[in-house]
Amino acid sequence: MNAVNKPAPHWDPYDQQYFANPYPAWSRLREEAPLYYNEQYDFYAVSRYEDVERGLFDRDTFISGKGGILEMIKQNVPIPPGVFIFEDPPLHTMHRSLLTRVFTPKKMNALEPQIRAFCAKALDPLVAGGRFNFIDNLGSEMPLRVIGMLLGIPEEDLKSVQHRVNENLRTEPGKASDYSEHSFVGEGYEDYLDWRMKNPSDDLMTELLNAEFVDETGTNRKLTRDEILIFINILAGAGNETTNRLIGWTGKVLAEHPDQRRQIYENRALIPQAIEELLRFEPPGPSVGRYVAKDTEFHGQKVPAGSAILFLVGAANRDERKFTNGEAFDIHRARVPHLTFGYGFHACLGNALARIEGRIALDEILNRFPEWHCDLDNAYLSSTSTVRGWETLPAYTPKAGKAPVSIGAAIAKDNAPSGEKWKLLLKTPMGPQEMIMTLTRDGASFSGRIESPMGSEAVNGGKIEGEKLSWVMEVTKPAKLKVTFDVTQSGETMTGTAKLGMFGKAALTGKRV
Amino acid sequence: MPQITYIEFNGTPHRLDVEPGLTLMHGARDNNIPGIAADCGGACVCGTCHVYIDEAWRERIGGRTAIESATIEFSNEVAPHSRLACQITITDALDGLVVRLPESQ
Repeated sequence: MNAVNKPAPHWDPYDQQYFANPYPAWSRLREEAPLYYNEQYDFYAVSRYEDVERGLFDRDTFISGKGGILEMIKQNVPIPPGVFIFEDPPLHTMHRSLLTRVFTPKKMNALEPQIRAFCAKALDPLVAGGRFNFIDNLGSEMPLRVIGMLLGIPEEDLKSVQHRVNENLRTEPGKASDYSEHSFVGEGYEDYLDWRMKNPSDDLMTELLNAEFVDETGTNRKLTRDEILIFINILAGAGNETTNRLIGWTGKVLAEHPDQRRQIYENRALIPQAIEELLRFEPPGPSVGRYVAKDTEFHGQKVPAGSAILFLVGAANRDERKFTNGEAFDIHRARVPHLTFGYGFHACLGNALARIEGRIALDEILNRFPEWHCDLDNAYLSSTSTVRGWETLPAYTPKAGKAPVSIGAAIAKDNAPSGEKWKLLLKTPMGPQEMIMTLTRDGASFSGRIESPMGSEAVNGGKIEGEKLSWVMEVTKPAKLKVTFDVTQSGETMTGTAKLGMFGKAALTGKRV
Repeated sequence: MPQITYIEFNGTPHRLDVEPGLTLMHGARDNNIPGIAADCGGACVCGTCHVYIDEAWRERIGGRTAIESATIEFSNEVAPHSRLACQITITDALDGLVVRLPESQ
């Protein structure tokens, strides 16, 4: 026993107390529990650079084929062929090599004029006002347009694509995701693909349509329509969400280090190393999951086959064994490779694109806003199972001052909507339960919250079809459960059912109050 | 042990004994030879362990593997005798091999 009565180190990916600053917890894991086991969610985690590097390289022990996200691995979700990020050899090797040719640094660097134009279009209208939002104005705009251009998706449809991607990829902060109904197939892209088949161009979709490869049976063939749709779905998601986070962290971290920002402003040759340091310091994807396919060991302790393990890239990137003064942000540090793009066979295919986008974004921001402050009162940070970063990050120049009211933050904070109020009675196997639901209608969808003795939960995926309403609620007490509601409204009353995860259906009645 | 010579772009040679079974990339990386980055660690996905095979050795070393041909498009200034060092395993038969490093990875 330790002489000092200090609780054992703890970290869990769903606990909001770690979102804003997970680094002290990760530092303790590195020093006190280099192989950490979380009993509550039954997973292992390693945090030292050497261990993360070893784990990500050893694809025979730590396989990708059951997913790279903790919940996905635990739920044993079937993954269709083509989801190359969650594949093992030989499929992974074949699929990856097809895509490798598309994302070479040479090709990505050639996009520079277009990337600059997208930045200019996003930022120019904001210069006079002196206020801008790193996410709303740039992070959620430019990478989306770039990947859309690469894929050949018409500009006017990009926002609906982004919406789809968000629904599919973005998990809710503080919650485990349910992947049981997760779709990998790019359902929104069928029309473009069919059109592209008839109208070839020089975009990625055309390239994928024409690419030939030798598959696992030794047959020389082209990709199937489903495989291409899955590829596109993954690329659109990866190209959107992660670079968006990089741009947010660029705004936040450089605002906190004005001296270094000034150096970059004066000497733009420092931009590449500044982006590398930002990637190391605040990785948009701070953890990577794997399934343990055979018994293994870290630090003399066994990790049994069948476990889920997280490789904490965000912790490894600050490991003092590898990075001198690792907790400090320093654009002048010696180049030691960070693990933000992963390592080994699944290392990020889009790293050249992310780097060029990050560099140009910073350059174009500095061209227009040499100095800025972040309005953290109206910023909102989110940490999900896949990414950690800013959902909205308003900023202002010293001259312009803070914006009087922020709209973005209010939306992102998921305030309880006002509108209709319903009293619901659910006949559960444990007895009747009363709940109050507030809902706000928006065409064929609605949002809202449900208050019950089990807590306050958001209503997800609210849909309205005539008199039929459906929605989903995720509860954590008394057990982690996804509750799916299907009701029919008739005037001031509603009747229907609630499917309580694996516990079956319960009858539901409701009355407007 | 087979002796391998890595020549930096500026002409500086490094003569090393590399254990058979290791790759040409590991030989350089483990000895901190400047000019080999090997960002992905030998997975053949990054193209940052690009080398030029010295003329006398080209036939014995042979051509690129299929996956290497795809990945080498990530490298700069690729020539017909360019290879990725992670795809070449050191054997006793490679004793005396000479490779040149590109200006940048």
